[in-house]
Amino acid sequence: MKIFRAGDKFIFEVGSREKHLLLDVLRLYPLIPAAHHLEKSHRSPDSSQKLLDEALAEQRAENKKQIESFLAEPGRFEKTEAGWKFSPSSTELEWLLQVLNDIRVGSWINLGSPEDKLDLRLMNKETAPHLWAMEIAGAFQMQMLEALKG
Amino acid sequence: MVETATPEVSPGIITGVEEESKSGLEPGFLVICWNDPVNFMDYVTHVFQQVFGWPRKKAEFHMLQVHEQGKSVLTRESMEKAEHYVHQLQRYSLHATMERDQ
Repeated sequence: MKIFRAGDKFIFEVGSREKHLLLDVLRLYPLIPAAHHLEKSHRSPDSSQKLLDEALAEQRAENKKQIESFLAEPGRFEKTEAGWKFSPSSTELEWLLQVLNDIRVGSWINLGSPEDKLDLRLMNKETAPHLWAMEIAGAFQMQMLEALKG
Repeated sequence: MVETATPEVSPGIITGVEEESKSGLEPGFLVICWNDPVNFMDYVTHVFQQVFGWPRKKAEFHMLQVHEQGKSVLTRESMEKAEHYVHQLQRYSLHATMERDQ
């Protein structure tokens, strides 16, 4: 995958397999359980926590809608000789980063929130899909972050 | 936090938001970001830049504080503003909380 910056847009050049990987991993959103934010935010004052949780839930619902429209939009991906091309705006790239990070962090939670590197010998039919999603989402994120750094 | 390339940063160039707001009379709320072993260092730096509009060096300084000390106080604000920042950070799936400055 190659990502170039062109003004306010980013041009993604992806192979057919990469395109399928990206779409497959995006379909997993959202993966972070709502209760996870509740656990994490225990230090916030109670009065504000409810509002924060509601705002977060609204945001996740909005992201889910955007993904559905992203996946369904005809002409989003343009066929090229080498594969496929699509051009998200800076705003869409930020949104993609958030969504991919939700998938990465959610997969990590599903793996039991390991502190250290995963012991691959413990992989099995149940845990392998979470590791796959975590690694694929992370790989796309890293490419996008490199492009943003310029 | 998952290590990527460790940036070279100088704390000397950081101008603290905390310093500015401590002179205010209104009781403040601290916005705190906590370490986790899953988010990329580059991602956390990018999020700080986006949410607070900080230059990369300042964002990297706070990212490294999170990574090395387990947490970083990012800013001290009114309750409303602190809520806004916590929400923004949580949108990016960072572990962020607010607490009253005592």
